Amino acid sequence: MAMEKIAGKLGLELVGLEGAACTGAGVLQERDPGLADTLNARTLAMAERLGLPVLTICSTCQGVFSGTLYRLNRDPVWRARINEKLADLGYTYKGTARAAHLLWVLVEDIGLDRLRELVVRPLRGLKVAAFYGCYILRPSWVVGTDEKPERLKYLEKVVRVLGAEPVEFPGEYKCCGFPILTTNRRNSLMMAGTHLTDARRRGADLMVTPCPLYQPEAVKYRDPNVRLPVLHLPQLLGLAFGFSPKELRLDRHVVSVLPALERLSLKV
Amino acid sequence: MLRHDLLVVGAGGAGLRAALAAARSGVDVAILSKVHPLRSHTGAAEGGINAAFSEQDSWENHAYDTVRESDWLADQDAVEVLTREGPDAVYELDHMGAIFSRGPDGRFLLRPFGPEGIPRTVFAGDTTGHVVLQTLYQQVLKDRLRVYEEWLVLDLILEDGFCAGVLAYEIPTGTVHAVAARAVILATGGAGRLYASTTNAFICTGDGMAIALRNGIPLKDMEMVQFHPTTLPGSGILITEGARAEGGYLLNARGERFMGRYAPRMMEQAGRDVVCRAEQTEVDEGRGVNGCVLLDLRHLGEAKIMSRLAHTRELCVTFAGVDPVHEPVPVRPGAHYFMGGIHTDLVGRTTIPGLYAVGECACVSVHGANRLGGNSLLELLVFGRRVGENAAEFARNQKGVEISEARVRDAERELARIVSRSDGERWAALRDILGNTMSREMGIFRTGEGMRQCLAVIKELQERYKRVRLDDRGRVYNYDLVSAIELGFMLDVAEAVVVSGLARQESRGAHYRRDYPKRDDDNWLRHTVVHRDPLGNLHLDYLPVRITRWLPAARVY
Amino acid sequence: MLVTLRVRRFNPETDLEPRFQEYTVDVPEHFTVLDALITIRERIDGTLAFRYSCRMAICGACGMRINGLAGLACKTALRSALNDGTVTLEPMGNMPVAKDLVVNMEPFWHHLRTVRPYIEPHPARIGPQNEYRISPELVDELSEVVRCIMCGACFSDCTVDEIDINFLGPAALARAGWLVRDPRDSRAADRLRELSKPHGIWDCTRCFFCVQVCPKDVKPMEQILRLRRLAVEAGITDNNGARHTQAFVDSVKETGWLDEFTLVPKSWGWNPVALLPELPTAVRMLVRKRAPSPVHPRQPGVDEVRNLFEKTERKRSVKDDA
Repeated sequence: MAMEKIAGKLGLELVGLEGAACTGAGVLQERDPGLADTLNARTLAMAERLGLPVLTICSTCQGVFSGTLYRLNRDPVWRARINEKLADLGYTYKGTARAAHLLWVLVEDIGLDRLRELVVRPLRGLKVAAFYGCYILRPSWVVGTDEKPERLKYLEKVVRVLGAEPVEFPGEYKCCGFPILTTNRRNSLMMAGTHLTDARRRGADLMVTPCPLYQPEAVKYRDPNVRLPVLHLPQLLGLAFGFSPKELRLDRHVVSVLPALERLSLKV
Repeated sequence: MLRHDLLVVGAGGAGLRAALAAARSGVDVAILSKVHPLRSHTGAAEGGINAAFSEQDSWENHAYDTVRESDWLADQDAVEVLTREGPDAVYELDHMGAIFSRGPDGRFLLRPFGPEGIPRTVFAGDTTGHVVLQTLYQQVLKDRLRVYEEWLVLDLILEDGFCAGVLAYEIPTGTVHAVAARAVILATGGAGRLYASTTNAFICTGDGMAIALRNGIPLKDMEMVQFHPTTLPGSGILITEGARAEGGYLLNARGERFMGRYAPRMMEQAGRDVVCRAEQTEVDEGRGVNGCVLLDLRHLGEAKIMSRLAHTRELCVTFAGVDPVHEPVPVRPGAHYFMGGIHTDLVGRTTIPGLYAVGECACVSVHGANRLGGNSLLELLVFGRRVGENAAEFARNQKGVEISEARVRDAERELARIVSRSDGERWAALRDILGNTMSREMGIFRTGEGMRQCLAVIKELQERYKRVRLDDRGRVYNYDLVSAIELGFMLDVAEAVVVSGLARQESRGAHYRRDYPKRDDDNWLRHTVVHRDPLGNLHLDYLPVRITRWLPAARVY
Repeated sequence: MLVTLRVRRFNPETDLEPRFQEYTVDVPEHFTVLDALITIRERIDGTLAFRYSCRMAICGACGMRINGLAGLACKTALRSALNDGTVTLEPMGNMPVAKDLVVNMEPFWHHLRTVRPYIEPHPARIGPQNEYRISPELVDELSEVVRCIMCGACFSDCTVDEIDINFLGPAALARAGWLVRDPRDSRAADRLRELSKPHGIWDCTRCFFCVQVCPKDVKPMEQILRLRRLAVEAGITDNNGARHTQAFVDSVKETGWLDEFTLVPKSWGWNPVALLPELPTAVRMLVRKRAPSPVHPRQPGVDEVRNLFEKTERKRSVKDDA
């Protein structure tokens, strides 16, 4: 996987959280907010036990963790209630856990200067549209963009450091529509399609996102004129770090990444 | 020609309540308002609604407190109606869907509001007016009433001594319409914007009062303008009396609870006029903080502030940059409520058959010289319903009158004249002079000399107003023109306020004269009635106060 | 301080296209965006149109987009909105512009009317002589929704309404979320059924825009999710939304993880006709070896996950819903 490949380069040691549960992606939250917070508090408590921060590579998971942390850290009554449920399993959420998205870690912990040093294959000539994903953006008081509004431009910064050119388009901070794919297919595809079309019209060769939910979604937008490949952030980093497209599984994309790679004189 | 049985002008609490009552008694009702109903100023009322709900209370208690607070200027028969029908009017609103705060038994939670100290005030946190307005509007949607949204009333149409409808300006299109009706209810609200510092919304420009005045219909007790003791400096935003009812203190610069010197028994809970004068005196004598005193809520604790005064906290943080959980809030008096208004009887009738008035634009009179906090929302519920039903009854027995299209053309020509004027002054400049002068001379402390100067300024402004120039010459959403029209209304209402005040040579309730500091029941226990003759001159008359059972006594705090 | 307001203007009587106009004014530091706009219309340019009334965040008139996000001009401190001394003001979205910052809110009101936003007591039931008994806990809970001032900010920035104006939208659904829980109303079940239809509660993407922009912290999205919960609890599950959530929840419960392979077919109730449009995508994903594995192994720790499920699935209190 791309993340495993780039982690070494970035100096990140990935430790798997054995037995961690799915964050619920907001779906579990809508069925039972208390249950969702309990499951995520368990995962966070596991990380606390290891004394390690949780790294996410998914905007949605990040948003869910941020939300759980926001509530647990602000509301002692709520925290006590959740911990009560965890007690007989041997977990306690103590209030020290941190969950951070790779994008934030790149800029805030590793630093753009270090990142620049790691680039062996600058993505020169590549035009990249940045798409953030809802959960890494909103609500701003939960995901930390109130204190750090600069987080709203991290993707563009990273794209630039990798040697590519960011492309602005109106949908940057909007919704990809994935969560309603099965309930309102037309609306879901319209959302994804609008962003892809807008980015393509503004000259983008590909789109990069810290939110993997967007990928299966983009695949489904089948208008041949807007076949814009969507890369997950670790894949774009991997390209710049010199990994082959095959190692990054870029050959498996439903929308071909080939035209974009040709700009870098790369083949799949 | 648009035609309805009954037309209600104004879509605040009084207008909506009247319209619902009328519609439910079976006549065709339409509502006309210069803003969407939910933007009306009723929504800004915070503290609550008084009524004698509890076992240890009675409508007589409530009535007596109302009369005493009015400094005995309220008509006691009207107060009896208000307080007797109070509980049912609130239950009715509860049945319509209002969400009021509840106690552990699921029944209304009551707040002790004002000087009486009896828990009598039902509330919805500190956004009671918001809940009242939303609830009434929901019922308007349920009944599918016709609402002419963003239509500004320009004038009444009187035919053969009857009210036959109104002329109105459709703001979205710039079109003048005549709306014919067998009866018209004015429910246009107050005129706080006459003052530079006011709790009132920008829309509170006295439109209905001015239109009545221009048509020779008398206004009553116009000098009685209530100032609210706790408003934020600069913006004038209201901090509810609930803040003091929940136990808040007023402090001066030395940290003293100064109300002890002015109202040793009632302290911060004394009458609004008394607290305002105390605050102003502290400031005038050098014990203020930048022209303000301090409202201290810290000892209430965060939990109580958040459950009872959440909106208040939000207002303080947002508009004064002060969190009342941690710091005292600077406050000062601001113009708040017109006790006076269009002279009506107990069912809202004016001197013109077919024309009714209700709510703040009217004067029945239940507030006299100083309104008891928590009585204004009650008034609009009780009298809104009464007036709606009575106007509907009148409309049902009335034949429609034809309105001449010439009225529309005349109004259009008049507006075109304003719009096309190429040189002159901006309305905003004149409004600033009006507001500052009124705040200075017609505020908490008044003198004959000051009021005479104020009147001279208003007369001058009325002349200058004839040369007001607009920037916007368009038809669509010409708010420049709307504001200019509103200023015309304000100047006429201001004149009535000052003329009424100048004549009243005593101090009573909100009308406090340094040159006549005592209440004078022998000469002035009577209502001021002002009307304008066709030449534009104001004339004063007086009406006796109707006293049923409570003889005037001193107000002691 | 010297500030520049960059205002999107449009006058239907003279303009073919909207344009931006910049006003630079000297105003006190404590001014709100609304204060600055009023200064402009009173002192500089009386043709500038925008709505405002209470200036204290309770009437909801001055909704507009401030630096791209909907909010109340009166509640926004100018200083906090400045980027290099400039603030950009535009009319709200998802509604036609009438003039400058004034929008025609009829689409918004239309949806509000659609949800029948008033209590409808049972016609045969006689109410109490005095007030209805309502628990203070429920009043507290409802107050979150009751405080909505219908400013339209959530509707303006709703990403679903942007592509499908038929979506009832955050404010109307939040208001409905009050009525289904109001003990005075008799139509809770009917309401939930109506709201579960297309354009209703299951069309929300959970993008958080409404939560972000709401000036009264109504959290409309949370109200919509609560309605989904209530609808499922009321047994109204015959729709893809409810099935999707159930499939997701089941998967996490059984395996600790999300089974992407069966999520889509389960959402469609394994309906082969409805699934046809998904088939080409699935085939292409299989060809490209991108499809999720049909074998969905149980994750370690799943017993603990199930334990927590069972603990919390026991009767939830009202408070747990919050």
